[in-house]
Amino acid sequence: MAQAPRFTGQRIRRVEDPRFLTGRGRYLADLEPLGTLAVAFLRSPHAHARIRRLDVTPALQVSGVAAVVTGADLTEANIYCAGLGGQPYPPLAVDEVLYVGHPLVAVVARSRAQAEDAIDAVVVEYEPLPAVVDPVEALAEGAPRVFSQAESNLCFHLEHTPEGLDALFAEAACVVRGTFRHQRQTAVPMETRGILAQYEPVSSRLQVYASSQWGHGLRDGLAKALGLPQSKVQVTLPDVGGGFGAKYGVYPEDVVVAWLALKLGRPVKWVSDRLEAMVSDFHARDSIHIAEGAFAKDGTFLAIRDHMISPAGAYLLDGSAAVLETVIASLVLPGPYKVQAVGFRIDGALTNTTPLGTYRGVWGPAATWVQESLMERAASELGLDRVQMRLHNMVRKEEFPYASCTGVVYDPGSYQESLQTAMEAIDYPGFLKRQREARAQGRYLGLGIAAFVEPTSLGAWQPEPPTVPYESAVVRMEPGGEVVVQVSVNSHGQGHETTIAQLVADALSVDIGKVTVRFGDTAAAPYGGGTFGSRSITVGGGAALEAAGRLRDKILAIGAHLLEAAPEDVELRDGTVAVKGVPARSLSLAEIGRVAHWVPAKMPSGMEMGLEASSRYVPPPITFSNGCHAAEVEVDPKTGRVRIQRYVVVEDCGVMVNPTIVEGQIIGGVAQGVGAAFLEELGYGEDGQPWATTLMDYHLPSVTDVPRVECLHLETPSAVPGGMKGMGESAMVASPAALVLAVEDALSPLGVRFERMPLTPERVWQAMTATRS
Amino acid sequence: MSTEQLKTEAERPVAFTVNGQAWRGWVEVRRTLADVLREEVGLLGTHVGCEHGVCGACTVLVNGQAVRSCLMLAVQADGCEILTVEGLSESTERLHPLQESFWDHHALQCGFCTPGVLLSAYALLQENPQPTLEDIHEWLSGNVCRCTGYQNIVEAISDAASRLSAEKGGR
Repeated sequence: MAQAPRFTGQRIRRVEDPRFLTGRGRYLADLEPLGTLAVAFLRSPHAHARIRRLDVTPALQVSGVAAVVTGADLTEANIYCAGLGGQPYPPLAVDEVLYVGHPLVAVVARSRAQAEDAIDAVVVEYEPLPAVVDPVEALAEGAPRVFSQAESNLCFHLEHTPEGLDALFAEAACVVRGTFRHQRQTAVPMETRGILAQYEPVSSRLQVYASSQWGHGLRDGLAKALGLPQSKVQVTLPDVGGGFGAKYGVYPEDVVVAWLALKLGRPVKWVSDRLEAMVSDFHARDSIHIAEGAFAKDGTFLAIRDHMISPAGAYLLDGSAAVLETVIASLVLPGPYKVQAVGFRIDGALTNTTPLGTYRGVWGPAATWVQESLMERAASELGLDRVQMRLHNMVRKEEFPYASCTGVVYDPGSYQESLQTAMEAIDYPGFLKRQREARAQGRYLGLGIAAFVEPTSLGAWQPEPPTVPYESAVVRMEPGGEVVVQVSVNSHGQGHETTIAQLVADALSVDIGKVTVRFGDTAAAPYGGGTFGSRSITVGGGAALEAAGRLRDKILAIGAHLLEAAPEDVELRDGTVAVKGVPARSLSLAEIGRVAHWVPAKMPSGMEMGLEASSRYVPPPITFSNGCHAAEVEVDPKTGRVRIQRYVVVEDCGVMVNPTIVEGQIIGGVAQGVGAAFLEELGYGEDGQPWATTLMDYHLPSVTDVPRVECLHLETPSAVPGGMKGMGESAMVASPAALVLAVEDALSPLGVRFERMPLTPERVWQAMTATRS
Repeated sequence: MSTEQLKTEAERPVAFTVNGQAWRGWVEVRRTLADVLREEVGLLGTHVGCEHGVCGACTVLVNGQAVRSCLMLAVQADGCEILTVEGLSESTERLHPLQESFWDHHALQCGFCTPGVLLSAYALLQENPQPTLEDIHEWLSGNVCRCTGYQNIVEAISDAASRLSAEKGGR
């Protein structure tokens, strides 16, 4: 690069913001082609029931209704969703409903209100069947089965006992155990899911608009489900109002709406309402970890055993938490610590609940809670200082790259430094004094520490990875000198239009105002994995940097040729190609663009016309961010209410392209962590009835629940171009553990240990009362 | 009952002012103000996040009061003055100081809750031009944002209050 970066690393205001601030963002619900029909779904009120009678004829009489379809209509047309469980997955229930919210009829009408009127007119007679909700009960002998023809509810099993594991436990000076149940949650993006599909006769293709994190994935999934060539399906993403993992994949509603658009030859649209979102968006987390840790007398962390059990819901999906949360946890359970062996067993059970999928920080909140709890409990048993014990076990700077016993390799990070920085920021010695004084007054102060690693930027992390291992970018300069960047990753709040423009503007030495970043249309954007797993800025940004670098080389070659200089003697500077040291001998990029697009005779011999370069960037298998959260809380013994007094985050995500955006991700992630630790729970009764189906019952963190977050940064560059690491999930990964451990620390005089989240005031109060009596 | 009778039962004439412009039309009595603003008036900046009055994304001002337009029927707005996010500024080039401050402080990510948050904040500053942080917290407790963790929103509102009072003092 000829110049020091002007934009990378700067706190640039986001390019995309003016349209959002003025109400000019355009989300899925805002799109309405002429003649659009609205869809509403009839959903099961039972957790498990046989459909004894289904009569849709009264619905057809309702004013405005264009069509009513049932599960049988779809299976007769051989339309199915993709699942991993081996069971057929019809988009609408056939014969039996398997969970509350399971869709069984779709009505298409002129307006959504009319469609809902017609849903009310459908006659269904259900014969309730026994339901199973708890995964342990689901796996027990004689449990009711979700699929009556299946032998059992076991849908996923994996186990591994490394050599020497039992010996490490046998020799350990201290073995600590615990059960950790992460509750069921769902991502709750503020914009619900939605899809609009329309058959385009002119190009004979299905045009789909969707609120999704991955346009190409939706395109491929719909093409497969409908039996269409991929080239005959185009997916375009409008502005997406949050995703957090819930909009990554193909849902049954997507398949139904796309099929209806083909069948009816009209635009068909469905926008989820919040009530159906709570039972039809992927549910997430919901795993039980029965874990133990082996430690030597000096505090050395020797080994972990973890039995993970997860209720997958009625279908095992591609991105099921029952698989992804647990398998990734098995790889990263040691966190930033050196552990000699990790043994695990994973059992996934089908249950009569909404299927599990992904939510920000897949693997992390539960695994970090397990890892840090084992550490805390061992420190307490061995009588060691918990900070010193962590430092003793952490991978040291000189040990990178570090091959973990689980088979993954950690790239360089700042594990000890981030813990030390966090402890300085929160004033650890001062806290211990405050805590002692408070205890003398009968007050309960606690400090929670969560040191974490975040596996980001997944590339070829397995020989045949289940996720797209690369991202793409096409960078082109128009004849007038403006730069357009097409990327395969897309934004649902992360700010790609700004951060990727920052990178490309610097790579080409142009003003950021000259760079436009585009994404979200499968007909224009190159193929890729979309936005997931904290990898947009590293893998998508890496591709943009690589492509921009190639374009820069071409611009320099053309410029050198026109200036009659050697390519190594020219440089890009403020929108010109200039001879080094002779600023007067320069050409504007507009002039280079004119030649490259219009004047073959002036091009270097043999060089292709145009100014365009592309990249499909495969990053290193996994890039690890790291850091440390420290939370100081006070527990009110009368009510069990927890107040967060201070919250410190030390984050090392390598080079930051835009620190303001990084901090936005951190603060937002801590807020979601507060939700996990204290507020949010999708509970089910034993009968399979969900307890939280509105935002009145599912408590999202509000402004009064969230602490002020103090952000500190360390920078250990990664090997990706630009040196960035992913970080979109880290705060979600670490904060629940920090908060729960802070409450346990506050209540340590009572010896309280929590086995499940969230720590509602009632649970905290009950735990305190139980130990007192 | 004839179809015509049903129509008069189900629909009412409604007239109101939105962002300074008069609007009138026949409206089904069961439709919410949010739906009519979006689908009839064509102002898509008002977003519907929960339709049961919790998330605050659909907040608009009705006669100067912050109202959840998903919980108000359009017929109830007959004769009222309504302000939506589109009425806060003339264009994307000339932002209201509140919008400018949200931009400066990175007080939005996906942008879906933003119009409702802006309108709530606008109502707060109308009522209390120099709010304390506590005032802002209390006022904003009716708006859910899933992305930002609120911190930057609170700072943006506080900063906007200073800017607006400086502007006023300068006049």
